[in-house]
Amino acid sequence: MGSWASAVGMAFLALCAASLAHGQMSTERYIPIGKSPGVSQKYTSIGLIDSVSVVRKTITIAEPNVRRTVIITGRTRIWIDRSRLKLPNLVGRFEDLQRGRRVEVKYLDPDRHLPADWVKVEATAP
Amino acid sequence: MSRSIGAAGRARSHGIRAAAAILIAAPVIAALLAACEPRPADPEAALIAKGRDLFFNETFDGNGRTCGTCHRQEDNFTITPSFIATLPKDDPLFVAEFMPALKQNFENPRLMREFGMILENLDGFDSLATRFTMRGIPHVLALRTSVASPQGPRTGWSGDGAPGDGSLRGFAVGAVIQHFTKRLDRVPGVDFRLPTDEELDALEAFQRSLGRKDELALPLPLKGTIAARGQEIFLDDGLGKCNICHRNAGANASLGGADLGNASFNTGVEDLPDHPALLAGEPKPRDDGFGIPGDGTFNTPPLVEAADTGPFFHNNAVETIEGAVAFYDGEAFNNSPAGRFLASIDSSGASIELDATQIVAIAAFLRVINTLENIRLSNESLEQSMALGFFKTAEAVELLERATHETDDAIAVLAGGGLHPDAVGELRNVRRLIERARGSLVNRRGLTREAIRAQQRARGMIITEPS
Repeated sequence: MGSWASAVGMAFLALCAASLAHGQMSTERYIPIGKSPGVSQKYTSIGLIDSVSVVRKTITIAEPNVRRTVIITGRTRIWIDRSRLKLPNLVGRFEDLQRGRRVEVKYLDPDRHLPADWVKVEATAP
Repeated sequence: MSRSIGAAGRARSHGIRAAAAILIAAPVIAALLAACEPRPADPEAALIAKGRDLFFNETFDGNGRTCGTCHRQEDNFTITPSFIATLPKDDPLFVAEFMPALKQNFENPRLMREFGMILENLDGFDSLATRFTMRGIPHVLALRTSVASPQGPRTGWSGDGAPGDGSLRGFAVGAVIQHFTKRLDRVPGVDFRLPTDEELDALEAFQRSLGRKDELALPLPLKGTIAARGQEIFLDDGLGKCNICHRNAGANASLGGADLGNASFNTGVEDLPDHPALLAGEPKPRDDGFGIPGDGTFNTPPLVEAADTGPFFHNNAVETIEGAVAFYDGEAFNNSPAGRFLASIDSSGASIELDATQIVAIAAFLRVINTLENIRLSNESLEQSMALGFFKTAEAVELLERATHETDDAIAVLAGGGLHPDAVGELRNVRRLIERARGSLVNRRGLTREAIRAQQRARGMIITEPS
């Protein structure tokens, strides 16, 4: 009986929690680099893009103390942060991730091993 | 002459004695008044007070709205069509009606005024004319009990209301971007400013301070026949099945010994026929719930606060608490993933099967526990008012106003279900006493004390107090 109840409980858990709780993506787009509440610098990398591999779909970020290679997938959201230019942020593409640009990357896992969940790339000109 | 000198001397003597009496009495009076003053606030209280001020007054340099624009204290931290009807035309709630930059694709004024619905761009801001959802405004009471889940915090109607880490702390950031902006460009520093870390801390502390801090422990020793039967059905995992997802009438689920915390379910609310917005001929795209794209699930709200915070469900589809309970006996729920799951674990393969008397009984139970919470909150405000010093009149009157709102809700919730007419009468007496206390210069505390006693009598008519 106990194991049946536990199994039902686990099935129920799976039913109600098919996806993990996560931050809302739509308003995240408008938050400038480094300002995402509870996430920025705690679970993200902020630095300059050191290199880009178009073939592997990766970027390497130079943070103050570490270089980190980040996998970009088709599900990774890319936003162009134009807040310093006082312009609205835009949806970006992989091509917008260019060497020398400042980016913030949030990963799909807190340990920063999995691919990027989202990338914000700073625009220097409109 | 001698008489006049004598009179003058007596007068002088009286004056000296009076002055001496004042000099002696003044420190005593000052000490007594000082004793009446509340102690300095502790850091947590100070943070909550700061959060309260931000919640109701801070516009974040946006369109004039504050958190309190939609989460009205006097309307149970939500906002209903009947309350909206009392607001002036220039209330910031109606910015879409008077700010040209927000006239298109920011709100739907008709749905706001008629059904209390607001517009949310939960699936992104790229196609504003077609990608949006219309939702009710959830109250922010008892958040301390309803946000946590094993998968992380659950905020908003679909559990993903906050950007960043998805926490209640981060919720204000998303709200400012969605609802406070001056233009649809939504540029930080131009259309609004984002809350600072300190402001987020304070806003979170304030919101967590609202309403219940703890879950109920059901069953309660209720005196009302119908409400008591409603509680039985509520707790019966083979009949009402309510307690599976709303453990102790809260927002957390439990099954098979597993504590699921606050969970999101697809209960089929979006499949209800005749949604008010669609009947009105207004656009209301299907709301896909949690995530992008959505998985069709929505949060489980707490039920203790339900009866006075309708309309119900994420899309304000149902106006009455009886209708909300009846939803679970309908086709939309029973054909939903959550309904089918309940049927799959039922020995006779039924999801939820209730008759009208049982639906009304469960609603009566929900009305009664809502009233008990109204009384608790009213009592809290009255006690706090009593603790304030003589010179804190404005604060005391504000607390008395809060108690009035709670008492009004208690009366409306009970009377709306034809429940406990004796308690309704006593609560009307409570209201009269609070009104008199609000207007009294010299007997505010005495009348407040009387109101507290009357409130306890009303409570005693609803529930058996522990001996």
